[in-house]
Amino acid sequence: MNITLKRIIAAAALLVAGAAMAQGKPVCGLNNGKAASGEPIALGAVVGKTGPDDFSASALASQAYFKCVNANGGIHGRPVEYTIVDDQWNPEVAAQAAAKLVKDRKVLAMVGSSSFVECGVNAKMYAQEDVMVIAGVGVPRECFFAKNYVPVNAGPRVSGTVVAMYAAQAYKARKMVCVIPNIPSLGNWACDGAKDWGKANGVDVDVIAVDPGSPDATSTMLQAAAKKPDAIILNLPKGIMVPMLAAAEQQGLAKKIHFVSSTPAYNFDVPKTIGAAWNGNFDLHLEFMPVESAGADNLNWKATMEAFGGKSDPRDSFAQGGYLAARMVTEALLKMDPKKIDRAGVSAALRSVKGFKSDILCRPFYVGDGGRHNANSSGPIAQVSGNGFKQVSNGCLMAADPELGDLRAQEKKLGL
Amino acid sequence: MPDLLPFLISGLGVGAVYALSGVGLVVLYRSSGVLNFAFGALGAVGAYVAWSALDHDWPLALAALAAVTTSVAISLAYGRLIAPHLAEREPTVRSIGTLGLALVVLGFTEWFWGEQPRRLVLPTDSGAVEFADVRLTYTRVLGLAAAVSMMAAVGLLLARTRIGLAMRALADQRGLSAILGIRVLQVDTAAWVISGAFAGVCGLLLANIVRLQATVLTFLVIPAFAAAIIGRLSSLPVTVAAGLAIGMLEAVAVLVPGFSPFRTATPFIIALLAIVLWRDVSRKA
Repeated sequence: MNITLKRIIAAAALLVAGAAMAQGKPVCGLNNGKAASGEPIALGAVVGKTGPDDFSASALASQAYFKCVNANGGIHGRPVEYTIVDDQWNPEVAAQAAAKLVKDRKVLAMVGSSSFVECGVNAKMYAQEDVMVIAGVGVPRECFFAKNYVPVNAGPRVSGTVVAMYAAQAYKARKMVCVIPNIPSLGNWACDGAKDWGKANGVDVDVIAVDPGSPDATSTMLQAAAKKPDAIILNLPKGIMVPMLAAAEQQGLAKKIHFVSSTPAYNFDVPKTIGAAWNGNFDLHLEFMPVESAGADNLNWKATMEAFGGKSDPRDSFAQGGYLAARMVTEALLKMDPKKIDRAGVSAALRSVKGFKSDILCRPFYVGDGGRHNANSSGPIAQVSGNGFKQVSNGCLMAADPELGDLRAQEKKLGL
Repeated sequence: MPDLLPFLISGLGVGAVYALSGVGLVVLYRSSGVLNFAFGALGAVGAYVAWSALDHDWPLALAALAAVTTSVAISLAYGRLIAPHLAEREPTVRSIGTLGLALVVLGFTEWFWGEQPRRLVLPTDSGAVEFADVRLTYTRVLGLAAAVSMMAAVGLLLARTRIGLAMRALADQRGLSAILGIRVLQVDTAAWVISGAFAGVCGLLLANIVRLQATVLTFLVIPAFAAAIIGRLSSLPVTVAAGLAIGMLEAVAVLVPGFSPFRTATPFIIALLAIVLWRDVSRKA
């Protein structure tokens, strides 16, 4: 009772502080209210805007943050010149887009990128040119296995693992099925985290790879149900996830099996679309804290979007990632001598990022000079509630995926 | 050996709509000589119209009517305004013309409604008949009934009515039919209206059974083509049987290890086999 009361008071205090901040101006960069006018600092982003889905929200949030920085003293007087290029979900266009930014525009770093295709195509070039990419959102495996690519989000593998761990914890699930689309470089990798964790923890996790173009979700759900699982993990884009849930509902599985999902389900159209059968009955992992959380930095993100973002720019978790990436890069740049800002210096400064704090993240973020990056490997669990979501996990869960072993060792070395 | 029966039944629902779409394709082909690549796209745009109408709290009947009307209107507009310009060209050109329509309609649908996830819920979803632990929703039963009854109705229309006779004549010899006094425009109108109505109904059913996503619905014309090809673009009963078989085989393919993640290829493989074995099929027929 006492603890609950304390929590309520703490939450109320945060809310009051947050409300004050939300009404106030966003805080960014030097925060001195002076417009920057010196020699511009070129930064860029590659996003998949046109194609199967619009992934530009992340870079739009970075752009809003940089606008705020430029209106507040810039990088010691130098404004950020930020260029966003659309890769159209096309690997060839992605290669051209990155070459244009890195080789022609000579950007010092890439910030807030979020693309489904560019990691596989451009990671090598970024390493060769020694350009660091602090990406807002990375999805395929290649984004988490590159020396110069640093996604701020957790990725589908961590997401699937954490939600499996939650299902075991909350529902005592001992047998699970993880459903994944058969997409190159995403495929089984994203479900194998849950599987490998399961092996080490006495939980049996089967993986079903589905044809993303298949019109027949019912058979997939019947196939999954035939394995008699306690929980079904959906590690699917929302466009495929919605029909899977509809099929599960029609087959009467919603009441028999616990359904959980990785982050893509965290979309404000989803609760209404999937309908009442899933109200309080569908849990998902979030790669960041909920977008409506009352943390000071989260409110600052919203205030930045209000003041410097476009009206139609999404305020979703992609945007949270883009905001964090831009903030991280700005803070690293501000620590440098403004006259000696070059690419090698910026890359070194970004590699030395350690203990970057934000209440949007569960734990402090780091970059480091390792061969790969996945510093965000935890997150809270939310549940569909009415036409929205509510957090159900007590704080964050950290992915106990054996594949993260090398990173855990690195974290120890860095003293995190 | 896993139990096949649940998957056969689950595939029956989708198969029924493939069959219905196949009938819609065959009816236009037999009456105007055009293979309508835009069939799926017309259905998709109709389904989106229905979703928007339901979202604005329209009654279901009105929403469905709006959907079918949209599909019919676009189909008719193409059939009256563009198709006649291609009427003298070879069948391939006439058919490829509809591919242009498909892409325009698909592009518009994606641009107008975007990628937001949607679900088209029909009241017939809540009830179901249960077979072998699989619930076949009434929507699917409705699809099955529609496929069979439309097959019979279109068969009668083409074989027994005056307009059916005129349609078939026009498909074979457009110029000659006109000279003989067949009202070309009237017959064209009827053919494109019927085909558009089929597209609208199929779009509604598929958006519910499969998913409300423009690209997916547009390219569901492929399995319907496969069914129509197996029916040699003329036999309605064979087309319906083939549609059902494709749906069921695709569902059973889930159980084939290694092939399951690629099971959308099932209709292509069946259509290819049908073309390769065409001669055998013709001989037997």
